[in-house]
Amino acid sequence: MKKRYVVIGLLASSLAFGQKGADSVYLKRKLHRTDVQALFSYYTQDNNHSAVTGGIGTEDLQVYAQDYSFTWSKDSIEDVSLEVGLDLISSASTDNIDDVFSSASRSDFRIHTTLGYNRHLKNSWNVGLNSGISAESDYFSVGAGASISKQSEDQSKEWSLALQTFFDDLRWLNAGKPRILIYPEELRDVEWFSIYKRNSYNLSFNFYQTLNRRMAFGIYPGVSYQHGLLSTPFHRVYFTDSSLKVENLPQQRLKIPIGAQLNMFLGKMWVVRTYYRFYWDDFGIIAHTAEVETPVKVSQKFTLSPFIRLYTQSGANYFKPYARHQPSQQYYSSDYDLSDFDSYKTGLSVRYTPLGGNHHPWFFNEIELRYAWYTRSDGLLANSITAFINLQSEWEKK
Amino acid sequence: MKPPILFILVILLLTSSCVLVKPYQRVYVNDREMKMGQLGAKRSDENMQAYREGATGGGGKKNSGGCGCN
Repeated sequence: MKKRYVVIGLLASSLAFGQKGADSVYLKRKLHRTDVQALFSYYTQDNNHSAVTGGIGTEDLQVYAQDYSFTWSKDSIEDVSLEVGLDLISSASTDNIDDVFSSASRSDFRIHTTLGYNRHLKNSWNVGLNSGISAESDYFSVGAGASISKQSEDQSKEWSLALQTFFDDLRWLNAGKPRILIYPEELRDVEWFSIYKRNSYNLSFNFYQTLNRRMAFGIYPGVSYQHGLLSTPFHRVYFTDSSLKVENLPQQRLKIPIGAQLNMFLGKMWVVRTYYRFYWDDFGIIAHTAEVETPVKVSQKFTLSPFIRLYTQSGANYFKPYARHQPSQQYYSSDYDLSDFDSYKTGLSVRYTPLGGNHHPWFFNEIELRYAWYTRSDGLLANSITAFINLQSEWEKK
Repeated sequence: MKPPILFILVILLLTSSCVLVKPYQRVYVNDREMKMGQLGAKRSDENMQAYREGATGGGGKKNSGGCGCN
């Protein structure tokens, strides 16, 4: 009997020590991670409905954009991110604000940067803060935002709430500082606006749900409120009596978008990504957007994604084409971005995802090339090509 | 403002028909192509659309304000 107790005792102690030994093999490692994303794009468009010249005239525009985003995760708790971007713009319509800019097409640039901080809390809560600036010749903007999100324990659902604010100054920049509102050359004898600021508040809610092993769903309702100078001071409007004024729009605008996304994995190589958005605002625009993208994994490393996007909007109450506004109207614009139109976009993206690179401290996560062709029912035609590179690095903290 | 009734019905149907997916069954839903939101190079499309169209928001990164757009 004693022998039996001795055997059980030895077995129990060996199991206990064995367990301890197994635990000691598991070492808690603290990993640093850096994620770098670079985006390079070229966009070109043309049409003859420029708002600068009252709804007629060239809209020829080229934009070379580059955007770099860095995210540092010093552990699994905190992330710090920095985004920096520079757009080089060549706009023939901006050249028509006045005669001062005598080049064939006015060159401009836009810079923007955002600093973000994200903290993962207990029970899968997550909070984030961000702040940034953005500047182009015709505005200077300061932005700030906060977000909170929560993921369910089984990772089947996640929700987030975000508030993003922008405080824009629409005075023309000179030597890096906002100076005056710029009106079309022939309309500078009148000070058309007594304000120059525009504040925007965007509240958005996102909810994601895994429906089953192959389907995921997301819904994105939001509300945006803007107040201040919503007109663009260098947009001309021609009236039926041949008079000319600067565009005038209400000083507040409420926007309500609600988007929904359904992604499905079909078979072993096909994914169908669908998106729909309903949009309403108190300028009178009601819009519907439908989008389908079908990534096909043609090999382990390459994915081809053809896509199609259909968009339709009703025009703002204040829009009329060139020389169709009545002089008695309070608000008026000939900006075709606010007109009644349909648009159609299609294209293809090719993604290369290297495998097994994570043995090296730095490795490519993905490289993507995307081409899009866009047309609008008012005649606008645009093309864009974008390259996206994602690099990652992971190393253990000593 | 009348959001399409079909849209609301589909949302209600989808949210009420989900099943529990265990961690080892998540190989498809965790795939990069199944991620929600705007991925990779598509971000630049969203920016362009905010300039050329009246509608913004509803799932993307681009919000109203902070640009020379509407």
